[in-house]
Order: sequence, then structure tokens, then C-alpha cells
Amino acid sequence: MSSDVRFTDFKSDKQPTWCPGCGDFGTMNGMMKALANTGNDPDNTFVVAGIGCSGKIGTYMHSYALHGVHGRALPVGTGVKMARPDLEVMVAGGDGDGYSIGSGHFIHAVRRNVDMSYVVMDNRIYGLTKGQASPTSRSDFETSTTPEGPQQPPVNPLALALASGATFIAQSFASDAMRHTEIVEAAIEHDGFGFVNVFSPCVTFNDVDTYDYFRDTLVDLQEEGHDPTDYEAAEEVILDADKEYQGILYQDDESVSYGEQQGLGDNMSEIPDGAPEDAMDLVREFY
Amino acid sequence: MPADLNWAIGGEAGDGIDSTGKIFAQALARAGRHVFTSKDFASRIRGGYTAYKIRTSVDDVQSVVDRLDILVALTQRTIDENLDEMHDGSAVIYDGERSWEAEIPDEVTAVDVPLKTLAEEAGGAIMRNVVALGAACEITGFDVAYLDEALEKRFGGKGSKIVENNKEAARLGRDHVREEYDLDHLGYDLETTDEDYVLLNGNEAIGMGAIAAGCRFYAGYPITPATSIMEYLTGRIDDYGGHVVQAEDELSAINMALGAARGGARSMTATSGAGIDLMTETFGLVATSETPLVIADVQRSGPSTGMPTKQEQGDLNMVLYGGHGEVPRFVVAPTTVTECFWKTVEAFNLAETYQTPVFLVSDLAMSVTEQTFPPEAFDMDAVEIDRGKIVSDEEVEEWLDDEGRFRAHAATDDGVSPRALPGTLDGAHMSTGLEHDELGRRTEDTDVRVQQVDKRNRKVETAKAEEDWDYREFGDPDADDLVISWGSNEGALIEALDLLEERDVSVRVLSVPYLFPRPDLTEDIEAADDVVVVECNATGQFADVIEHDTLTRVKRINKYTGIRFKADELADDIEAELSTEVPAQ
Repeated sequence: MSSDVRFTDFKSDKQPTWCPGCGDFGTMNGMMKALANTGNDPDNTFVVAGIGCSGKIGTYMHSYALHGVHGRALPVGTGVKMARPDLEVMVAGGDGDGYSIGSGHFIHAVRRNVDMSYVVMDNRIYGLTKGQASPTSRSDFETSTTPEGPQQPPVNPLALALASGATFIAQSFASDAMRHTEIVEAAIEHDGFGFVNVFSPCVTFNDVDTYDYFRDTLVDLQEEGHDPTDYEAAEEVILDADKEYQGILYQDDESVSYGEQQGLGDNMSEIPDGAPEDAMDLVREFY
Repeated sequence: MPADLNWAIGGEAGDGIDSTGKIFAQALARAGRHVFTSKDFASRIRGGYTAYKIRTSVDDVQSVVDRLDILVALTQRTIDENLDEMHDGSAVIYDGERSWEAEIPDEVTAVDVPLKTLAEEAGGAIMRNVVALGAACEITGFDVAYLDEALEKRFGGKGSKIVENNKEAARLGRDHVREEYDLDHLGYDLETTDEDYVLLNGNEAIGMGAIAAGCRFYAGYPITPATSIMEYLTGRIDDYGGHVVQAEDELSAINMALGAARGGARSMTATSGAGIDLMTETFGLVATSETPLVIADVQRSGPSTGMPTKQEQGDLNMVLYGGHGEVPRFVVAPTTVTECFWKTVEAFNLAETYQTPVFLVSDLAMSVTEQTFPPEAFDMDAVEIDRGKIVSDEEVEEWLDDEGRFRAHAATDDGVSPRALPGTLDGAHMSTGLEHDELGRRTEDTDVRVQQVDKRNRKVETAKAEEDWDYREFGDPDADDLVISWGSNEGALIEALDLLEERDVSVRVLSVPYLFPRPDLTEDIEAADDVVVVECNATGQFADVIEHDTLTRVKRINKYTGIRFKADELADDIEAELSTEVPAQ
């Protein structure tokens, strides 16, 4: 079936309830196109999402999917992939889901380097709870819970990933459909944890990090000739607080995924009808 | 002399108490004797009083008692801690060359063995505990040849030199006692048999049960006393195509296990009280997304971090009611080490048959108690695996709606839906912790909400009708008085029965391994004069449940010192409780 899979096969018949103009539409379209372009089909794909606007993605896409609890999507994806190396596993999250409540899991998922992709819809705001500061909000960004701004620097997810030993770090923009799709494809094809932070503007609650803002400021690293395999060059752009970048910031070509390193190849869903044939050896061990 | 022998070694954590005790226990098991061990340890790496106790008999032993016959004391505190259990037939093995001046009561036989010096003679001071084991063999009339087998098992991997040195250390200990002391008056002469026993604890039995049941994925976070399940599975489950992962925390552990279960693997996590608190967040998701998952809770003293290395059965309310909203679940609680094995197998079958979370509830006492069993007690041929309603590529069709969408949460008569594992053609679907329709998609439709809540609860009703929610029965079936217990108290209760019989007190004992659903005890309780519920907690959580179920007040024996029930103590408590009125509440 996979040879003639179209990206629309990954679309469910449920109409998204995202606000008109939400960046998540473009983000999701790119994810579906990237899955189809890399030869996957809904029956061999597992999508995990957390909570929030981003978490709704499992409903609007068609595949095997789980919509989990806030911040825990990465551990779920990790479990799916370890048990089923034969599946394509994609985890979707938001900046609150991934960089606040889920930040502990993020660091460990990165360093575990399980072969899955992680797409974060970063709109720098809490949308579904109606406009509070998120961990990536600017320090002077005024919201209902931070009338004078959060007064603390935003989390830099790319730097967090790099410091945690990431083997693939990328950033894309929901409205640049072609580049976004290419970048997610690269994350899927990366042998290890493919992390993509997506600028996915919230048109309702964030009037600072808008489509126009990103269109005007975004620098495309690949157009600039950035070499993603150069760790120090990656470090420089990731720590550069003055510019917004898209493209693949860092990729470790030599990356060995967790599954490969641990020799995980079996489909763990298949088990015999009774105890394993040599199971009495387990008992004899206690003689 | 009594038919059973009670032996202990005590010292500071880091003194090798545990491994020494285990070696002696294995030697006794090799000699065809039954063994029941218990451990007393503090929550620290080095220092602090630690003891390993062995009760052994040619008959079955299932409990500890308040009597100590032979004590290997590496510190004065070891003697002080055990004074009240020693009697005029007890012997204490100690090293008089050590700086402490042993204070040993006059009626107890003091056996001074230069443990360190003899160990050095055999090749190294590290073997001083083995010298003590040799001395213990001589006092108890136990052939050191059995000890040799245990030493080979323990040190075989480290080379023959180490094994030979240890054997020599044991002989030097034996010979010293043989030459210096005449202890025939103590009258110990350990009988041996031709039986072959295996020696294992509850956590090892849970791990073994998991592998036998086809568990392929385990995610956990280290916590006493659950960690040894993870340690058992690590390095073994891989041989069967599985994997163990140490997660960054309990939240991650249960979510990883959930992910693997969604992938179709038989999957498990284990923790203890404080970890169950954290996992509770995901517990409702497991239930609502109808994911089969086994969650083991090896209870310890709470609340909060409580006493991490001490016994308690205090999490019953947590596993019965934990999680917000109303969540269908099963709660299975093994009552013996062998049941830890069989109930684990059963937990996996229940989880997949009904697509629910299953709590497998054990406790610290069972998790660290090593006990002997005939190997047939773990007959692998008797393990049956029921994976429930997994649909094949061909069967998917009958579960598709008019638009070709898979009804993963179809509201069937028995409440159990078809299950399409990822990779099944045309079975793709989502599941969510949000209330959802048959397709798994979010809904707030009142009719669908009621349909799905009823459907999930119906699984429990189906299970109540389809499965045996039985109890185990001991004692006099015609006795007027009834004693009810859950968890690891069973062994001590069975032995208490013998002691009560000697005092002409006869009771009927029910040991209940299913906490939800649970057997209906109404008739048993109504037929009894007195009903006493025995449990290791302060408030009587199981007694509350029984009163709720049967609308009858019961008496309670509660122990929450952090130490498990002992047979003789329990006999006294039961006798006393039977002579009192049921308190007004």
C-alpha cells in the first residue's frame, strides 16, 4: 500500500477546531506530507500527542495514535518505538507541553536518542487556556498571568537539546510549507531522535510572534551555507539570541539510535501461547 | 528441641550480611530443608543495623517466629537487638578478638571464634562471615559439604581459587568450634532430605511470572522495595526478545509502559507507594484509553517517604480508589511467594482480556522473603496465555463503521472492544484520555458519554461473572470464628493456627488474593460469631472494605510497626481479640 500513499490518507475526517489562521494547520500538513513522502502509511505509523492545541493533532490525523496526558507524550512514543521498531513513531507537542511540564522528559528523550521524530508547535503562548505565558514567551510579553511580562528569559529549546546530546536539531516555520515539510522529512529519516521546533503562530493570543514577524526576520540556514554537521557552527547559531533561524541546525551523521545500540529489532507484540519453551531454566536458576 | 531452627546473622550494612545469609539459606535448601528468610535493614548504604534471619525445618515453613537459636553477631548491637528472642538453648557466634567486649547473657552459650584471624589464614579477612558459617554448621550438626555447594554457586564465577579459599574458611570455622567447644548439650542436629528445592523471593517470582506470561517490556524507576523486580528482568528478559528501560521518573516509566502496551507488547511497570502517587496521573489514561497494563505496587511504610525499608500494607485505598474520576480496574494481591508468580501471569491475562490496568499488589515482607519450594510449584507447562480480542487483518472488517473507520472502542455487550495492534491493515485509530466515541474521538455528547462509561464499567461486570474471584481457606472449616487476611500475612496465619490449636482455639482463615473485584464474603461473615481482619496498617483498610461490602462490623488486628506479623505474636493477638467485644465505631 505504501507506494501509492498520499498525504491525504493521513487526514482524518474530523474538522480541526483550531482558530482560523492557526499555525498548527500548516505544521500538521507538513507532518502528513513528510510521512507520506518518506514512504509511510497510516497502518504503520503511530502518532503520540500531549495536551493543548498541539495535542489535538492525533484527532485530525489518521494513523494509530494516542492522545496522552500533559507533557508525557515523549515517554509514550519511546515505549511504542522500543516495543515496535517496525513502526514509524512521531510525537507532537507544544511549547508548554514540551518545554514546561515535559521538559524533564525532553532532556532524557533527547539523550536516549530513540529513533523517532518530535515536532513541537511553538507559538510562545498558552493558547488553549486562553493566553498565558509559556516557557518560550519573551521576558516582557504581557499576558493575563504576567501583566508585566514573565520577567525571566525564555527557554531556548534548541540549546537545551544541544546540551542534552541531541543528534538532530532543526527549526521550521509553519507557513513556509515546503521547507517545513523538507525539515520534518529529514527528522523522520534521521537515524535517532529527530527534533524539530516549529514556529507555529497563535493568531488569537500572540500579537508579537506573528506570521509577519517570522517572515521578516527568519534566516534560512541552508541558504546561508550552514553546515549542520559542524558542532561549533551549530552552537553559534543556537546560542545567537539576536536572530531567528530555520533549517537543520545540527545533525550527527554518525548517530547510532537507542534501538540499534540495544539490539532492539523484535516486534514485541508477538508472543507464544504459553511460557517460553525453556522457561523451566528460569526456575532452575534458583536451585 | 523444636523441629525448626532459627538462625540469624547481624551486623552493619556493608558487612555482607545479606550475601552470607543467602549462602546459608541456599546450603540448607540444597540439603533438602525448607527455608523461610526475613530481612531487617535500614535505609542507608553503609552502617546501621542489618540482619538476615532464616527459619528452617524439614517441614514447610512460612513465617518467622519470636525465637532465635543461633546468632552470628558481628556487632554488640546485633546481640542487643535480639536479646528478647534468645533462650537457654541459644548460641551466639562472635569474634572475641574484635575490639568490642561482647556482652552475652549467661544462659546463652557464647561461642568465641576468631573470625578475622581464621579468614586471613584461609586467604583473606573478607571471608570472616564464611568462617562463621562453618562454625554454625558445627553447632547445628550440619555437613559443610552443603555449604560447599552454595559457595560454588556464589563464587563459581570468580574462579576456583576463590571457591577453594571460601571452603577452607568454612572448615577452619568448623574445626575451631569442634576443637574448642563441646556443644552436644544444645542438641542441634539438622536433618537433611533428598528433596530438591528452589529458593526465591516474591519480587523474583513476579519477574519470573512476567517472563513466563510473555511480558516483553518493562519500564521502571528505582525505588525500594520494587527495584529488584527490575533487576531480575534486566539481563533476563532480553533473552526472550524483551527490554527493560530505566526511565527518568515514575511518570515516564508508566507512560513508556503504556506506549509499549499500545504497541501490542505485554508491558509492565513496578513501583512502591511514593511512585504509585506519581503514576496515578497516567492511571486514568490507561483505563480510559483501554490499554492493557500491569502495574505492580510493592508496598512499604508510608505516607510520604515513610519508612522505605519497612513493611506495611497501607496502599489498599490508593490502588482501589486512586485516580480522579471513576476508573475501572482490577486489583490482584498475591498472598505467597508462589502466588507472586501465578498472579503475575493472571494479571497479564486479565489486563489483555479486559483491556484494563491491573494493579498487582505485593508488600515489602514478601518482596525480600526468600522461601523454598519444589520446582513444580512453578510449572511452566501450566502457564496459559490469553490475549483477548486482538483482531487480525481479516477480522478488522467486521468492526468498521459505514465509512470504513475502525471502532476501537465499540460498545459491545461484554464491554470489551476489538483490539487492532498497530500494523493491522485498516485498523488505524486513535485513543485518548478525553471522553471519546467508539472511534476514539473526543466527544461531550451526553449519550455517548454514558455509553462509554457504561461500556468500561461493564468490563468489570463481565469479569465478575467470567472469572473466579476466590479466596484461600485454612484452619477448621466448621469453626465459629473467622479470620480474614490479605497479602503476605498468610504464612504467619497458617502457622498461628497450629499454635492456636494447642490452646484449643479453632478458627477458620480466609486469605483473599483478589481485592477488586473481590469475593463476596457476606455469607461467611454472617455465619461466623467473631470476624477478625488482620492487616499491616493502622486503620484497617481491608476491614473497612469488608464492612462496606457486608454491612457487618468486624474486629481488627493491625500492625504498623514496620515489621511483618510473626506466627506466635499473631496467635496471641487472635486469641485476645476473640475474647473482646466488637468496638463501637
